[in-house]
Amino acid sequence: MKISKTTINLCVFLFFALFLVLAPFVLPLFVSPFWLSVTSEILIWSLFAASVNLLFGYVGLLSFGQALYFGVGMYGVAIGVAKLGLGFWPAFGFGIFLSVVMALIAGVFAVRLTWHYFAIITVVFSLIFYFLALSWKTITGGDDGMGFSMPPMLSVGDFEISMTDSMVQYYFILLIVALCFYLQHRLLQSPLGKALIAVRENDTRAALIGLNVYALRLTAFVSAGFLAGVAGALFAFFGRYASASYMFYHVSGEGVVWTLVGGLGTLFGPFFGAALLIILREELSVYWEHYLLLVGVIVILIVIYAPRGIVGLYSDLLDRVCKNDDDQNNKPGSEV
Amino acid sequence: MDWNLLIALAINGIVWGLIIALIALGLSVIFGLLDIINVAHGDFFMVGTVMAFFVVQTTGNFWVALLLVPLLAFILGGIIERLVIRPIRNAAALSIVATFGLSIILQESVRGTFGASPRRLLAPVEGTTMLFGIEYDIYRLLAALISIIAISAFFLFLHKTKFGTWMRAVRHDREAAMAMGIPAEKVFLFTFAIGTALAALGGVVAAPITTVDFKSGVDILPFCFMAVIIGGLGNLPGTAAAAVLLAFIEGLITSFSDPTVARIASLCLMSAVLLVRPQGIFTGASR
Repeated sequence: MKISKTTINLCVFLFFALFLVLAPFVLPLFVSPFWLSVTSEILIWSLFAASVNLLFGYVGLLSFGQALYFGVGMYGVAIGVAKLGLGFWPAFGFGIFLSVVMALIAGVFAVRLTWHYFAIITVVFSLIFYFLALSWKTITGGDDGMGFSMPPMLSVGDFEISMTDSMVQYYFILLIVALCFYLQHRLLQSPLGKALIAVRENDTRAALIGLNVYALRLTAFVSAGFLAGVAGALFAFFGRYASASYMFYHVSGEGVVWTLVGGLGTLFGPFFGAALLIILREELSVYWEHYLLLVGVIVILIVIYAPRGIVGLYSDLLDRVCKNDDDQNNKPGSEV
Repeated sequence: MDWNLLIALAINGIVWGLIIALIALGLSVIFGLLDIINVAHGDFFMVGTVMAFFVVQTTGNFWVALLLVPLLAFILGGIIERLVIRPIRNAAALSIVATFGLSIILQESVRGTFGASPRRLLAPVEGTTMLFGIEYDIYRLLAALISIIAISAFFLFLHKTKFGTWMRAVRHDREAAMAMGIPAEKVFLFTFAIGTALAALGGVVAAPITTVDFKSGVDILPFCFMAVIIGGLGNLPGTAAAAVLLAFIEGLITSFSDPTVARIASLCLMSAVLLVRPQGIFTGASR
């Protein structure tokens, strides 16, 4: 029997999708309910890593400053609720809007540079706003952060839906993250997405065939800012607070690490990278305080031996399995 | 305005700038020769302070640390080059990620052995002296002197020895240098080791001035990058000058505002330099 690669990929995809949809019912059967909130966290951080991936994996721009847009989305929600008295949806929109504006302003300057210079200027921008957030304590709460009480999503009379319900929280996060991944998928399948990949492969040639390289990079930068902003806004609702420490460049670095471990330039790579490293963190930090040592070693080993990450290893395995199938199918034929 | 405070902060800036110059030179030489953006460089500095702390604790002599620590760091740098840097040398973007992993490993192993709480190392020379009408710490002046000697020694090494000439040749044109029979692999190994040793030496010199902490590298790294960028990537004298200039300006701004504002100001200056003159402000217009 011969199974095509597309069928296997579809099955794997459906398996994970089904698992995520049923997680609130399946997870408590095997592990403590605490793992449901870990799953929510993985979903949010995988969206954050996806924003790194969109820039680095598809346009070839390594950003070490995506934490800035995450942090702005987070603060947009927290300030919107706590200081401006906005409701759930306006605050959510406000956070995303602010991070897109931030990405547009930073992007106009940043995408003029490439390679090392781009990586460095994105760090510099995020550091400037990190220090601003630290010193501007009345608005941001500095390093301690600022908390807020969760506004309801929908309230009609006595009937109220709010993210304080863990079920609502999980499905809301899953829905938004899935929607964002779908949007990213559609973007990459569109002619615009192909143009972005053309810029990654060879920007001179892309310019010569009439593509506006600057505008394309800026589009990608703003889209990545949007993804990071959505992740930040979700994380603000998830933790019910915002803090300047999430804008530090180490958070951006983690996004890059998750992307690389998962598989650079693949749609679901950031998800698997974030999932693996966050599960490792949750499992190991209980037993071993210095589990980060292992994370460092894994990162270096992946960069050296498997630069295409988990998804790369998976597709290599798939190639081998399918090839073996081909061999077995061919053997009887060749004997006859 | 208190003039004495201004003078003290300005001198502090210059002293600190000289130490930063030492560390940033290591960063710059690694970038210039190996094309590696070393995100772990701040942690090499941090490892230097921690090793200094341990050496002083066991031998009780700061000067032993000053000689021994750079040597140990040189060996550590060589090992790291062989294990981590060599396999990824032709992928600049990957180098950032690999050295980020390295940075995690270094910080975590220090946290495991040294502990998470910051400690202080006593200066080997106590007392103050009069300088421009203010009482100034003798050790800080000594630290500036050691940094100047080390920087000069490094430039002499680069320009007067055969190995230094090899290093400059490989940086100038890797293929041509290899064709002329220069052992490029050896040059890469030694360059990375020298860069590590410079950062660790900076750590030893700075240890009595700052605190010994596993997180100190994270704070110092952006500053070193600023010096390298503003001075011009791979431009060594420019890097040293930029480090002193930056720390001096930050010292001045700190005298009438808080340090965070000073840091934001120098970051803004750095973005302006990156956007307008990415080759650095000390590099001639015709390259």
